[in-house]
Amino acid sequence: MSFLRFFPLCAALALAPAAHAQFGDLLRQVGGDKADTIVDNFADGKKLVKSAAGIGLEEERSLGGSVAVEIVSRYGGLVRDEALLRRVNLVGRSLAQYSDRPTLAWRFGVLNSPTVNAFSAPSGYVFITRGLYALAGDDDDLLAAILAHEIIHITQKHALNLLRGSAAASGALGIAARNAKGNGLRQAQDAAGQLGLDVDRLIEGFVVHGFAPETEYTADAQGRALAATCGYRATGLREILVKVQNTQGDPATLFSTHPPLAERIQRLR
Amino acid sequence: MRKPLILLAGAGLLALPATAALAPGGTAYTKRASTDLLAQPSAAAEVVATVGYGRKLAVTAAQGAWLNVKDGRKAGWVFKGNIAEQKIEETKGADGLPFEASETSASAAARPLAEEASSYADQKGLGEAKADVLWLEQATAQFTPAEVTAYLQAQRKGEFQ
Repeated sequence: MSFLRFFPLCAALALAPAAHAQFGDLLRQVGGDKADTIVDNFADGKKLVKSAAGIGLEEERSLGGSVAVEIVSRYGGLVRDEALLRRVNLVGRSLAQYSDRPTLAWRFGVLNSPTVNAFSAPSGYVFITRGLYALAGDDDDLLAAILAHEIIHITQKHALNLLRGSAAASGALGIAARNAKGNGLRQAQDAAGQLGLDVDRLIEGFVVHGFAPETEYTADAQGRALAATCGYRATGLREILVKVQNTQGDPATLFSTHPPLAERIQRLR
Repeated sequence: MRKPLILLAGAGLLALPATAALAPGGTAYTKRASTDLLAQPSAAAEVVATVGYGRKLAVTAAQGAWLNVKDGRKAGWVFKGNIAEQKIEETKGADGLPFEASETSASAAARPLAEEASSYADQKGLGEAKADVLWLEQATAQFTPAEVTAYLQAQRKGEFQ
């Protein structure tokens, strides 16, 4: 497996993830004539070569949307409250427009879960649980601190970095889906299956277990800077972390996917 | 399985360029299709020049959260949140950089859940969660860039501090 990580082109040709071959719906998206297919495949082939350097925006949207659905499913669905949605999105988009990826379609949602946590998914999805939202209260500086941290995960592509070397995320998805119309049924299944594998890897990699501590500390520091640039209190992140630390509750429900609170607070002094 | 993932994430971090403060003598990059340079360090000041995407700027002076920058013969003040310390590699179209400077992110905000993500949700039996995300896409599309700017002005945030 580790060999394939460093040879994405080989991986594109060799991967046949039977466990995820059930995603046959992608076959219905196939179209275009043969010439177009060849041209498009050439373009995707270039993506494969570039896979270690970056993941295309369309692939990022596919991954991000899939991960967003998984997060929403695992954390109680979304709170459908217009006033709450307005506040979270105006604060969030105020921050996002001064981030390093201001043109993404940023969306901020509140998860209907009493746990205290926040998540992001590639391409601009940011979620905060209602438990953490309640803890921040009416203080926009605290809310901004939380959202800025998650925005940094997206702008720095922390989740996508977990997929470096993956075939689907770097173009194989496009090739297989196009070829499926004529003779590539298995390739299309492989492509859809690879998306499933990548989503599984992201879910396991940062939704279930959280990012590596150093990645979180980076998001803390850069998120604090983003919030301060936008005019929110630079101490906001430290303040909300202290609030979480002082909360009486099951530790498993308090920022469980993040590094120890004491260490994060210490680094923000 | 988890250990290699952590190592890979660490490798990704090491690959990130070192950050440097935006300060006189330093350099910065534009990150939007169009960035206005102003006559004074104020959002209300006159626009004296406009620079395109990915331009390398020389920082010549600083005043609070504002920087005086230069791109060849063009020079003026810009809010530091409107430029980046490193060049941002963003593709054109979709949710990336607008093809034209006049385009806004309004259309991107209305973009629905990616087709592949929708199929993924169907195959995994995540219909309720998919419906929630589709609702989120639709509900958040109402917040236009103009409304966000008005909010920033009202709250005295960003370049309106």
